[in-house]
Amino acid sequence: MKFLLIALTLLLPVLAHASEGEAALPAQNWSFNGLRAGWNKAELYRGYTVATQVCMSCHSFKYITHRDLMRAGFTEAEVKAMAKSMNMDLNAPLLTGLAPADAQETYGKVPPDLSMMNKAREGGADYVHAVLTGFSEDPALIKEHFPDGLPAGAYFNKAFPGHAIAMPPPLQEGAVTYADGTPATVEQMAHDVATFLQWTAEPERFERQRMGVFVLIYLAIFTLLAYLSKRAIWKDVKGH
Amino acid sequence: MSSHQDFTPKPVEKNIRNTYRWLEDRLPILSFLSDALVTYPAPRNLNYMWNFGSLAGIALVLQILTGIFLAMHYKGDVNLAFDSIQHIMRDVQWGWLIRNLHMVGASFFFIVVYIHMARGLYYGSYKSPREVLWGLGVIIFLLMMATAFMGYVLPWGQMSYWGATVITNLLSVIPFIGKYVVVWLWGGYSVGDPTLTRFYAFHFVLPFVIIGVVVLHLWALHLHRSNNPVGIDLKRAKDYIPFHPYYTIKDTFGLGVYLIPFTLMVFFLPEYLGHPDNYIPANPMVTPAHIVPEWYFLPFYAILRAIPIKEIGVAAMFGSILVLFFLPWLDSSPVRSARFRPLYKQIYWLFLINFVVLGWCGANPPEGMFVIIARVATVLYFSFFALLPVLARYEKTKPLPATI
Ligand code: HEC
Ligand code: HEM
Repeated sequence: MKFLLIALTLLLPVLAHASEGEAALPAQNWSFNGLRAGWNKAELYRGYTVATQVCMSCHSFKYITHRDLMRAGFTEAEVKAMAKSMNMDLNAPLLTGLAPADAQETYGKVPPDLSMMNKAREGGADYVHAVLTGFSEDPALIKEHFPDGLPAGAYFNKAFPGHAIAMPPPLQEGAVTYADGTPATVEQMAHDVATFLQWTAEPERFERQRMGVFVLIYLAIFTLLAYLSKRAIWKDVKGH
Repeated sequence: MSSHQDFTPKPVEKNIRNTYRWLEDRLPILSFLSDALVTYPAPRNLNYMWNFGSLAGIALVLQILTGIFLAMHYKGDVNLAFDSIQHIMRDVQWGWLIRNLHMVGASFFFIVVYIHMARGLYYGSYKSPREVLWGLGVIIFLLMMATAFMGYVLPWGQMSYWGATVITNLLSVIPFIGKYVVVWLWGGYSVGDPTLTRFYAFHFVLPFVIIGVVVLHLWALHLHRSNNPVGIDLKRAKDYIPFHPYYTIKDTFGLGVYLIPFTLMVFFLPEYLGHPDNYIPANPMVTPAHIVPEWYFLPFYAILRAIPIKEIGVAAMFGSILVLFFLPWLDSSPVRSARFRPLYKQIYWLFLINFVVLGWCGANPPEGMFVIIARVATVLYFSFFALLPVLARYEKTKPLPATI
């Protein structure tokens, strides 16, 4: 009976969450998920390349500086070189040069800040990946969703809610040249930049998880000792 | 005017090195604490459902401690609030830990208190002589909801802003003065900087008010001692055991069991119970597709939306909580514990399941079948309370044991 009661109460938030109507996004394999997960430095560097060379012409990462990258495993020398090649101060946030008013005029929308993007959308990295790879010019598909044609200035996107996005397809094959020689396919760049966005959204992710493991081990021992003590102390109470 | 009795000063300990006696003779706070936490005679047959009171107390203290550290870095200004949360998450030493503890802690506090209340409902702990104890509990619950609601506004994300707008707007249904009350509450013509600043002030102070009510709650508890799973009055000395060490160790074990899922959420799934839209800065020009409150409000939110007439919906939502105050009088059965009440036991479980169903409706857009389910569930929710007086008259209860 009691367990049922607890289960029921715990079910409430689970139910609430399950029914938030998640769109079916193709789930990707992310290096930051799973038991042996961590930040993959090479991948982050590629993501950084795409983010700064492509996305930053329109979007900012206002919560991120070059110095922050040291938290992901880059050395001070590496980070200094990266900042220098962009002519930036080590402690300056990664801001776009595109003024909001100009963006509004050109695209009809101000591109949102990307630092928190993976936390600010249902689906997180899967969603960002789906948007970046979800552009299509297939007339049949567009006609199906927009019988009167796409709204002016919008692009068709399979993942974006409403399917008409104001962002022009940002990734073309070979848009960047990766320093490690990885071929810059759209798929590869989308994957790398979405991983980078996961880092910008939660740079503390693995500090948190590592600490969590220790806290859990501690609590397991604590709870076991408390249980044994409880049994010992209650031994003489009738009916227990 | 003179009082009716002469006053004889009590002899007091003069030597301050006899510290315990010295202090006791001046302020008997140590024996007060000892009566509450060490020698308090507790029934020896309490089950694990009785752990949730002290767990709620610990959860409250944790919210206050983490809250104070958050307040050292948070900025209650519409232009700074959202960024100051990111400052806490990224730059403040252990900031992410403090914030996750506070965020997940709020949800877990509600889980604990919901179980605590369900326990009282099952074992008839609200019945005489514990009506005031129960009523103080309902006041705590209301204060908790107010605190949590205002706390959720502080990060100034999209859900903060729109949740605050929707819920404060409810007060506009008050006849004649509603419109003015809302403007007065906002400090302007919409939710804005004055609203955020005052919500911050209230969010800071209300938990301390809760502490005050918890003290009254415990005072009322200790007067008649705890109820127990059998629900009968315990008269023999051997039916009781001292709180310490028996319940201190049992509560310590319970705390460990509680902290394990809590830790899992704090360190591995801190966003699970949150909403992604709250990581988008508040924007009065863009309404989110679905405005959903935090999960612990969902059953009441469903009642609000189930009723097409706004005024009645608001009244039903507040009524669904206020009706709890009247529970001791609605349920006139002399038998406390559901163990001996076969009919009550059944409608009790239906009530709990129905409550979860309401929560599920609250999480979904009010369309199609959800409207119908929410309406049926709202009727069932109130039927439970309407049935209680009838039930007490016709229910054939099982014989009560004389003792445990
Ligand atoms: C040419 C300017 C431009 C570039 C370059 C650009 N974006 Fe955008 N982006 C926009 C605009 C404009 C919007 C707003 C779209 C809308 O709301 O319709 C946007 C929106 C987005 C969104 C939010 C979609 C949503 O759900 O609201 C994401 C994610 C995004 N961009 C990612 C990227 C990434 C990653 C890159 C780099 C690979 C990038 N963008 C490059 C202009 C750009
Ligand atoms: C801040 C929140 C709360 C705290 C800290 C708190 C604390 C406690 C504690 C420590 C006890 C004694 C241990 C126990 O019996 O489990 C208790 C008992 C009780 N509480 Fe609460 N409580 C809270 C909220 C509530 C609420 C919301 C209700 C119901 C509306 C409630 C109703 C009761 C009742 C009826 C008892 C007596 C139970 C019995 O003796 O069987 N409490 N509370």
